[in-house]
Amino acid sequence: MDSSEMNEGEIHQIDSDDVIKEEDETENEEGEDLTEDAEALKAELAKIVVHPPSYEQSLMEEFDQAEFSPSYKDNLPKENLVLQYAENFRRQMVQLYRDRKPLFLNPVNECGVEKFVCTTIRPTLLEFKELYNWDGAAEFVADYLNIEPLKPEYELPKRLISPSTVLKRQKGNCFEYSTLLCSLLIGAGYDAYVISGYATKETCLADESRDICPLLKKKEEVQEEARKKEMKKYNVKPPRDLRSKFELKQESKKEAEKQAEKEKQRKEEEERIAELEKPPPDPYFGLRIHAWVLVLSGKREVPENFFIEPFTGLSHPMDSSNYLGIESVWNNVNYWVNMQDCSEGVKGLSFDLGDSTVWEFMFPNNDKPLLKIPDAEDDLNDMDDDERKYTSSSISTDDEEHEVEKYLDMPPSWVDALKLSHRDFQMRCPHGKKTKVYKRAKLEKFAHYLMKDGLISRLSVYEDRELTDLMKVHEYYAHRSDKLTQKLTNHRTGQVCENFDPGRPRCLKEHQFKSSTPGPENERVMIFYHEARVDGLVKREETQTEMTEEYSNRDDFLFYKYVEFGKRAKKFGPQETSSANKGRPINKMIQKFHRNRNKPANEDIAEIIFHVAEDKIHISYHTEDVRIAASTREFLKPPNWDEKGAVLTFNPEMHQTFQVDPMLPMNKQVELYEMLMELLKAEEKCRNEVRDSQNEVRNILDDRTKEEAASELDISVYDTERNEKAKKHRRELERQQLEEKMRKQEMDIDYLAPFLAKIGNPEKLSKQQAFSLKEECLADLKQRLIDKANLIQARFEKESQELEKKQAWYQQNQVSMGKEDEEEYLTYCKEAIFRIHILDLRLTRHKEQAPHKYMQLEQKLRNDERLSEFF
Amino acid sequence: MSRLYDTVEPAVIDEEMLKKAVEEQGPKEEAGKIAKQEGIDFGDVLSLRLDFLNILKIDNLWEFTKLTKLQLDNNIIEKIEGLESLVNLVWLDLSFNNIEVIDNLDSLTKLEDLTLYSNRISTIENMDSLLNLHVLSLGRNQLTDLENLRYLRRFKNLKTLNLSDNPFCKQDEYKQYVIAFLSNLEFLDYRLVDQQSRDAAIEKYQVSRDEMLHNEKQAEIKKEDETKRQQELEKHKNAYVELMNGPDLFEQMYAEDKEGQKLNEMPGLEDQLHSFKEKFMQICTQIFDFGIAEHEKREEEVKSFWECVEEAKQDNKRLGMVHIDEFTETKKRMLLEMSQMSDHKMVEQYARDYNDKIQVLWDKLMGLELQLVDQLEEVIKEFERNMQDMVGTFVENVQALLSQCRDLENNHHEKMMEIAIVTLEKVIKNELDDEISDDLKMLLVDKDTIINAVSSSHDVHLLKIDNKEDDIVTRINQSLKNLIEQIHQDEEITRNRMRVSEINNLIDHLREEMDNLEVMQN
Repeated sequence: MDSSEMNEGEIHQIDSDDVIKEEDETENEEGEDLTEDAEALKAELAKIVVHPPSYEQSLMEEFDQAEFSPSYKDNLPKENLVLQYAENFRRQMVQLYRDRKPLFLNPVNECGVEKFVCTTIRPTLLEFKELYNWDGAAEFVADYLNIEPLKPEYELPKRLISPSTVLKRQKGNCFEYSTLLCSLLIGAGYDAYVISGYATKETCLADESRDICPLLKKKEEVQEEARKKEMKKYNVKPPRDLRSKFELKQESKKEAEKQAEKEKQRKEEEERIAELEKPPPDPYFGLRIHAWVLVLSGKREVPENFFIEPFTGLSHPMDSSNYLGIESVWNNVNYWVNMQDCSEGVKGLSFDLGDSTVWEFMFPNNDKPLLKIPDAEDDLNDMDDDERKYTSSSISTDDEEHEVEKYLDMPPSWVDALKLSHRDFQMRCPHGKKTKVYKRAKLEKFAHYLMKDGLISRLSVYEDRELTDLMKVHEYYAHRSDKLTQKLTNHRTGQVCENFDPGRPRCLKEHQFKSSTPGPENERVMIFYHEARVDGLVKREETQTEMTEEYSNRDDFLFYKYVEFGKRAKKFGPQETSSANKGRPINKMIQKFHRNRNKPANEDIAEIIFHVAEDKIHISYHTEDVRIAASTREFLKPPNWDEKGAVLTFNPEMHQTFQVDPMLPMNKQVELYEMLMELLKAEEKCRNEVRDSQNEVRNILDDRTKEEAASELDISVYDTERNEKAKKHRRELERQQLEEKMRKQEMDIDYLAPFLAKIGNPEKLSKQQAFSLKEECLADLKQRLIDKANLIQARFEKESQELEKKQAWYQQNQVSMGKEDEEEYLTYCKEAIFRIHILDLRLTRHKEQAPHKYMQLEQKLRNDERLSEFF
Repeated sequence: MSRLYDTVEPAVIDEEMLKKAVEEQGPKEEAGKIAKQEGIDFGDVLSLRLDFLNILKIDNLWEFTKLTKLQLDNNIIEKIEGLESLVNLVWLDLSFNNIEVIDNLDSLTKLEDLTLYSNRISTIENMDSLLNLHVLSLGRNQLTDLENLRYLRRFKNLKTLNLSDNPFCKQDEYKQYVIAFLSNLEFLDYRLVDQQSRDAAIEKYQVSRDEMLHNEKQAEIKKEDETKRQQELEKHKNAYVELMNGPDLFEQMYAEDKEGQKLNEMPGLEDQLHSFKEKFMQICTQIFDFGIAEHEKREEEVKSFWECVEEAKQDNKRLGMVHIDEFTETKKRMLLEMSQMSDHKMVEQYARDYNDKIQVLWDKLMGLELQLVDQLEEVIKEFERNMQDMVGTFVENVQALLSQCRDLENNHHEKMMEIAIVTLEKVIKNELDDEISDDLKMLLVDKDTIINAVSSSHDVHLLKIDNKEDDIVTRINQSLKNLIEQIHQDEEITRNRMRVSEINNLIDHLREEMDNLEVMQN
């Protein structure tokens, strides 16, 4: 086997680790120094006392052996074989590459049994749809587990705990993280591998405080390229540019210089900051052992290879600078050792696992396509293969005949199926909470329904890296009955922005306000789901004295409304309680309209300005397609316009107009008068709308305060765990079922029981007993039937007698009877006859049915399993 | 209906009556007062009620062109007339009159509601153009013929119909008949037509109804085909090559050429004639295809020209509006400042500034306009040049193709001549006595006659071809000229005048505004 192994793998000598090399060099240098000044150095060196490394028994967590299945505690023969194989492989590697670090092949499991790493991967597809995609699975693993750093950080761990146990204890080291994630990914159909290698300190300790929080990364806006202006044949020439070309040139030159200067400054600044933020130098750089996950392209439509960092759940590109080297990779079927130079980190490594010049595989059943070899070499290769097979079989025929026919394949995983309860999955993090620190940001995650107010994550952004100067807080909510999803609090400006899901009354979508002035009539912006609103309101912006509303898709083409408020008139004398609600006086209102194509432009109002304070109304019309100026009109309100019931007079001086087209006939006075009336109505309407808006704002704010105080959470009707009502309902159903069952049991009363009891409930009936039992049973029924018939008969007779008596009595006393008595008698007769008739009916029916019942019982007895053997 | 107490003199619609009605029905209260002072134009009145006035003849309503609602009920009108100019009428009430014939409603195409209740009408007719009719009331008339109701099928929007108290209502099948044949109706005789009764009625008249529907459909298809053909022909006409894709020109050549027709009966000519026709047709088709292709090209050119002109105008308009908006902003600001000023001198200074600004605005707007004029002029010139080139090529090509036609004709003529002479010889030798008609015999008397006949036929043919050529060339040149003239007129002259007057008007207005302000302040 050895020789075949040697033949198969073309193991190349690789450069030893850089670090070791460096150390060698320094030693050499010191050696040279020694010749120069030996004595002094000797004395110096004598001071150094080298202690033998004290082997520290690392305190390993003990597990209760009882709770594991036997596969954890022992090895199958095949597993043993694989372990031997691995040991053999290890020895060869050591032989060939003396300065290579040991491989991570067969650590002990939680029961202290050696297990091969490939068999520790247990591909599993859990029932949660979030885990079907790699990002969801990676995020879950990162959230669900707590990190146990390797101790010491430059040595491979001695123990690898099975993913099932890891899920239970919710913590693990990088190898355990990766194994679990890999199990999930392979289960979901990805081509995933665990990588054992080296990484930076930040990666190994999951220190993200130098990374920008992924939630804060701005999505790259896809800039729509400005539509290139089509050059048409008849495009007009632009007006001639009469500016001096030279001056323009000078100017642009100056501009460019300025720009360059700025750019330079910015770069310098950036560099300075980068320098400041650089992590301190790491003494173990390049030695820190780490494990992460590799996903190869091909399966599940993955277009490109990438790494997944199990601690953070983020993907990294193939040339990531976080990873410094790779020793080996494995999945559940094979183990590959990297033969490539990692002095440049992982940049440029080939992940063609079928290429045996760069990846030394352990098991020959390599399902990876081998490197394609041009046709010329094909024959040669074939021959080699044949020879190889021949040699391998000839050598091993003696002892391991059964092994010869096929290569050794990987035994199934020894790990129990991974299980995750719905509750645990929803809790997400250990105890439902997790805090992560990023560069100038802190992210706290909470399980759904854990927090009373529905908070699921909170991202705090800080100005400085020490996380002392809070800038803004981003809070995400779920399941809130007030549909709040996000809340952004800017601690610098005091601005608060709340986002809501659709489905609220009044269709609020976004609400921005200042936390210092949350009351009405202050600065705020409200954005609405305008599709759901009857008035098509999109946005309402308020300041202390102004309000602007934007609309869309209205039938009256209104799209903009602006209101300017005046100050509340101060009232002297007794304060009225209603005055506070009455609202501020309106100084000015502006309404703007879109063009209504059904009207001529000259009559289609574009803008109305109600100068309420000045009693003026100003109208601008739309511009006609061929014109550049718009007609305008201005009305002065009649003096007594706000008096109720007053007849409004009109004179031509109240109206001024500018008509773009002087040829148009002048409007008639009546028309103007009617227009003015319309405008007054419109003003009133607009004023009412403004008041309504103000009330709406007030109502929304009231609602918000109430909701904030209550902070109720919605529970889905399908969520049987949390939904109290549903739970009750289910319990009720269960109870009913139980009752039903009980009743059924009662129904199935054994009709033979009393008779059996009579003969003392014997285990087995003799023939005689059976016969007598049957006879008795039937006799009993007969008796009962006869009894019943007699009973009915007796009643029948009694009724008839009574009737006869009554009739006799009636005949005697008929003359002296009053009308009431007579009536009573008649009703009695009627009832009695009815009763007799019924009894008669029952009797006949009983007579008819009795034989049937008898037969039925006989049949039943015949079929009764206790008696059937005798009949 | 005739009235028992017709004691009142029949009235005529006169100025006084109209004025009174208009004033009574016009605006009320304050608005009415103003209107009275000012007088109401009959042309502005939207609705008019002239009921219970004993009117005999509808007259003098021509002034009410905007009228949408007219009530002439309860009069003694005998004839529908004098309504031709009321084209905006939507509602017309002529109930309780003495009308006998529906007539003179053709111009009222917007009519939706027509009431002829209680008249003496005996036939439904003369309403072909009232396609928007929604409501029709013909109750209490003299309608007797149910078949006549099929006339109402043409009103697709008719939802409400009243036919009660007509003689035919006494027939049992009246209701079902109406519902079956007017199945779009929603209300009949004041009642909702429910689905059940509709289904029943349709079932009853299934056969005749289906037949009628089928016929209607056929007619519709036919009409559609006809319009399609018309459109096609129109398109070809616009390309100036109409009918060139068929044997039209060829047939025309022989249409007026009686001698040619006779000559074609000569024996031994069939093959020759056949090949001639084929070749001729081929060239015609070429001309046709070429014409259509050229037409599309020209259309494309015109379209792109207009697009660019429109774009240039829009850009210019946008710039102009920006200037005006800017000015309006400054104006607002200045007026505000001025209103707060007390110093007289400062105010004057501001006023001067303002006037300067107006001048600047005028300069800017006029500059823009001048720029646009230049731009358009250039573009139009280029367009004109290109169009002329295109037309030129088209004409040249058509002429070349038609001269090919002429060559063909010449060839044909020579062949004809030969055959004619051969035939003549044969006739002279009495070889073909039985095979030729008498007409042809008349020509085949001597050499001169036959040669003359053949030549004149040839001349006629050439003339036809020449005519076609002339027709195409003149028409295309004429239309090009018209187009260019139109463009010059609309885009250069009219547009420019309008814009300039607009700008001046605006500037005048602004100045005036300022003056008024000063006057007020002083």
